[in-house]
Amino acid sequence: MHFQGSPNMAEKRVKLISSDNDEFEVDEAVAFESETLRNMIQDTGTNVPISIPNVSSDILAKVLEYCSYHAETMETHDDKPPITDAQIREWDADFVDVHPATLYSLILAANYLNIKNLLDLICQAVANNIRGKTAVEIRKILHIQDDFTYEEEMEIRRETKWAFD
Amino acid sequence: MVANGCLAVRGVRGWMLVWVILVKRALKRISCGVSGSGFRVCRWGMSGRRSGSSMMPLKSLIREFQEMKGGRGGISRRSFELKFPHHHKGRSSGMVLDESQLRVEAVVKQSCWANMPPELLRDVIQRVEASESAWPGRKHVVACAAVCSSWREITKELVRTPEQSGRLTFPIALKQPGPRESTVQCFIKRDRTSSTYQLYLGLPPSLVENGKFLLAARKFRRAASTDYIISLNQEDISRGSNTYVGKLRSNFLGTKFTIYDSQPSHNGVAASNRGAWRMGTKQLSSRVHSGSYNVAHIAYELNVLGTRGPRRMQCTLHSIPACAMESGGSAPTPTELAAGSLEEVHVPYSSIMSSPRSKAAVVDSSALESSEFVSGLLNKEEPLVLRNKAPRWHEQLQCWCLNFRGRVTVASVKNFQLVAATSVKAVSAAATTSSSSADHDKVLLQFGKIGKDMFTMDYRYPLSAFQAFAICLSSFDTKLACE
Repeated sequence: MHFQGSPNMAEKRVKLISSDNDEFEVDEAVAFESETLRNMIQDTGTNVPISIPNVSSDILAKVLEYCSYHAETMETHDDKPPITDAQIREWDADFVDVHPATLYSLILAANYLNIKNLLDLICQAVANNIRGKTAVEIRKILHIQDDFTYEEEMEIRRETKWAFD
Repeated sequence: MVANGCLAVRGVRGWMLVWVILVKRALKRISCGVSGSGFRVCRWGMSGRRSGSSMMPLKSLIREFQEMKGGRGGISRRSFELKFPHHHKGRSSGMVLDESQLRVEAVVKQSCWANMPPELLRDVIQRVEASESAWPGRKHVVACAAVCSSWREITKELVRTPEQSGRLTFPIALKQPGPRESTVQCFIKRDRTSSTYQLYLGLPPSLVENGKFLLAARKFRRAASTDYIISLNQEDISRGSNTYVGKLRSNFLGTKFTIYDSQPSHNGVAASNRGAWRMGTKQLSSRVHSGSYNVAHIAYELNVLGTRGPRRMQCTLHSIPACAMESGGSAPTPTELAAGSLEEVHVPYSSIMSSPRSKAAVVDSSALESSEFVSGLLNKEEPLVLRNKAPRWHEQLQCWCLNFRGRVTVASVKNFQLVAATSVKAVSAAATTSSSSADHDKVLLQFGKIGKDMFTMDYRYPLSAFQAFAICLSSFDTKLACE
């Protein structure tokens, strides 16, 4: 009964409750983008609202925005031209073009909800952001405090000098 | 917490900006001021009378904020600040404040990015690691390891040894064996005026862009010997520097050389540790400290005829067992570069061993005391011996020839190819019966001239870049008795 393609499934709506008790209602197909939600729905059905205790409403809204867009790209409409891969890439790039703190919350949410494509997208975005930057610049962007011991600091200095020579 | 009825505003300029959603009610109480940093700072002014009603959104704000920080402490509730760096912009671009996200700055001890779940951090760093396969891009991987301790741990875990990956990433890779199935192609630049030698990874600069600098060496003439000090830093080549990685010492004639590593390999090495000698104590230390470990001997055979015939060299690597060349064998792979400070020379007791073959080695007193222990280990492990491949005399060209596969272009007495000596017997025994000699015949180190002061150096497992460079330096040294 619980597979995405069946026609009466598309009608089904799922209620999700964020950590700050905001309620979201989405198509089942949207929720199925998340492996975690898919398992939950398969266990409990769509009648009971699913609470997501560690994702706040603003982040959940973003995640669901991603899921609904990607669920939509899967559908084929006769009247509309299909969404191209280039369009999806562009949409994805815009989606992850957010502040690092938001990105961090998204990465945790994507991990918890087990949305593999979203997790890949964000990890790649973070990797792209830090690549080409020095350790000092990375620390600055992500506001990481340097927590090395004196010995490690000496070792890193020697290593960095060698690598950037 | 807000007994004084007002929340002081204090924050750090820069990146600690966290977006949170605020409800309308909370925003009504924002009044704006201008901070010293030039940003507009909005303070939450609350009269005592109304503080009761304004507490709720504030509490929820703090709670939400903490949740976003992954529940980590360190947020000072007494001093809490809101900043609107683009306040004016926000309004002009049609941002409606009551629904917009506001940036909140706060002082936290460590960023969420440092305390990220390891599997996620690994995923991110893995992507950087995989995309930067060659220098100079490889330095971005080194940068990831210098961010904070959690990042360092994961980056070090992800970066594989040259033997596994064929890549050099951290300086420690210079002390680790090269790849088994391919060679690491390097070149050496000689500077005669400063008596320095620089080792670079890659193809010579005339062909493509500059290679990655790996090691530098400087020649120091002493009364009865010559020392080549090897360093990670070309501007600081000295024994006392923390970039010192080892040295090559020759005898007076330039026929015998000893390679000293600044750190022990995992297998037995002869130690001549002056620090430990001076103190006369055997101190156990978990960290690897810089010392002087005799790891190899190179001997050039005396050429009694005095002709400019090919040299014969033999290299005995005390740190690499002969069985490293057998299938399933392994060469020692240190994982940490020695700490450079000479003041703190403590050699781990277990690593102090002497070799009966190295008669010239200065042996530490503690090593002598533990001679029984030493001999037990040495009986088990034969050192690897390398020999140069004998060149063939080419009748037409009237010269000695070796197949350098296009990597050497100038004839020189310095050119050589080293193969495992044990394989010579194996090859001669197997030569008549089978064609499996190709594998035994593998050139482990090849060195040759390509220009006036330019040489190529190709090495592979079980040699490390450091050992290969030191062996090549011995070929540079003038051999009074050989030519």
